[in-house]
Amino acid sequence: MLLEQIINGIVLGSMYALIAQGYTLVFGVLDKLNFAHSEIFMLGGFLAVASVALGAPLPVAFLVTAGISGLLGLMVEFVGFRKFRSRDAHITAALSSFAIGLVMIDLAQKIWGTEAVAIALPDEMRIASIEFFGIRIVLIKLAILALSLGLMFVLHLVVARTGLGRSIRAVAESAADAALYGVNVTRVTQLVFFIASALAGVAGMALAIRTGYANSETGFSFGLKALAIMAIGGMGDLRGAFLGGLLVGVLEALAFQWAVGQLADVAVWLFMIFVLLVRPQGLFGASGAKDTRA
Amino acid sequence: MMQDYIMFTGVNILLAWSVYIILMSGSLSFANGAFMLIGAYVSGVLTVKFGVPLLVAAPIAGAATFLFGVLVGFPALRTRGIYLILVTVGIAVSVRGVAESIPYIGGVQGFSGMSGGNPWHVVALVFGVGAALWAVSRSPLQRILDAVREDELAAATLGINIVHVKLTCFGIGAGLAAVAGSFYAHYMLHVTPDGFGILVSVYIVLYVVLGGTNNLWGSAVGAAIMTLLPELVRGVAQWRPTVFGLTIIALLLLRPDGLLAFRIPTVPTVRPPGKARPSGQGQDVARTDETPEQR
Repeated sequence: MLLEQIINGIVLGSMYALIAQGYTLVFGVLDKLNFAHSEIFMLGGFLAVASVALGAPLPVAFLVTAGISGLLGLMVEFVGFRKFRSRDAHITAALSSFAIGLVMIDLAQKIWGTEAVAIALPDEMRIASIEFFGIRIVLIKLAILALSLGLMFVLHLVVARTGLGRSIRAVAESAADAALYGVNVTRVTQLVFFIASALAGVAGMALAIRTGYANSETGFSFGLKALAIMAIGGMGDLRGAFLGGLLVGVLEALAFQWAVGQLADVAVWLFMIFVLLVRPQGLFGASGAKDTRA
Repeated sequence: MMQDYIMFTGVNILLAWSVYIILMSGSLSFANGAFMLIGAYVSGVLTVKFGVPLLVAAPIAGAATFLFGVLVGFPALRTRGIYLILVTVGIAVSVRGVAESIPYIGGVQGFSGMSGGNPWHVVALVFGVGAALWAVSRSPLQRILDAVREDELAAATLGINIVHVKLTCFGIGAGLAAVAGSFYAHYMLHVTPDGFGILVSVYIVLYVVLGGTNNLWGSAVGAAIMTLLPELVRGVAQWRPTVFGLTIIALLLLRPDGLLAFRIPTVPTVRPPGKARPSGQGQDVARTDETPEQR
């Protein structure tokens, strides 16, 4: 039982981590919080529902969801962040992205209604499971886990090993210096938004498949928690967001197991406040000069 | 109906000012919905369970929330800018969650039994607070606030106790939100923690942004417009978040200081009044070249 809950927690945590990666990528490059991110995650669920309803097989639905979410991310960057790039503009950027999020929620509710919308997947696909050392695991959860871990691994490789990743890290370090060395800062920022939003959309799709529903409230209830996780793991720190996501996912699953689930939400946010006050570089971050910036 | 308009407009103006007061010292608070919740519940418990009259309970709730704001604000204001925004979001979510899990005040079902919220008390309060804020804007205090907001380091070298200033503003903002929450709760008769979620806090902040962040009339006008417009224009009510969101985005892009962007001059200045220096919000893309280390 306990082991099953821990596995549930890891699956849940991998979705948190996937969203948190997006928050932290954007924060790393721009030093800004993207409050529209959680709503792109929410729309990802609806995009998956819509494309499945139109008869797309899951891989196609995956590509459609990721692609459209990524494009929405480009829109968010252009409308909400392009003009507010100065270091002092973080309040303005937070407000504009919040406003974009409001519009997204309202439009989603106008199109799909305020009630949860079921995803049209055959039941045998959703409940098929395997026995594994006496533990019953639903296959779709394993698939979600594999998918999100795989995506995050690819993201890690891209950021750590490729030329594009080097540009991203350069811009994160200092946009001006990167520009002097010939990096196209605007293009890199756009790419980061595309990647971050595509990941959020995929996470939304994963949640819709796992729960069977897409809901216009998941942005605030589920997506925003990833923001706290990002801060717990260290703002701008990909590894921290990953570990923080898994940690919170497992703890939350255990909290539900022990019937204190209601307070799990509060605990996450209080823990975030505690981390920000005591260890602003994040739980897993090294205390370097880069991380202590305000 | 008319009473509703007066009540909600008044409460929202007070809430907008509660954010504006905190913003004057350069901090942005997404926690004012939570402060409103605390005010509503504290005063509600006092009037319903202890029979205290509302006009006594509301100031007590305000004072209690002032203390709460100072207690939370003291560590929170150590963090700046983006971190503070996150901390206030955390406060908003946590306070609501805690309220939902206390059976004494009704938990998720909410709390009822309050009565006697009078719109004219709120109107009187709006005039009182407005007059006080106006007096502050004409006084040297405003220059201290301006200094802290625009450049903390420079303000500190001038001998201004930044922590003191910011904390006072944070506490007063929290207290004002709580008083507004008390009157709101006693007018609505029934409140739920869900009704003071993060969205409420966001709306309050956006009232201020809509009206203009650098003077007190802007906040009031923004709150009044956003409260009354959906009631008076039929189509707007249905599309309220979209209309509101798009307006805010357009405003931030085209007129970053808000609709009523002027500053009341406290002293004759060399720069022309009305064209205040950039209020530290956006636009000047040229300054991206400042590296983190320079701060």
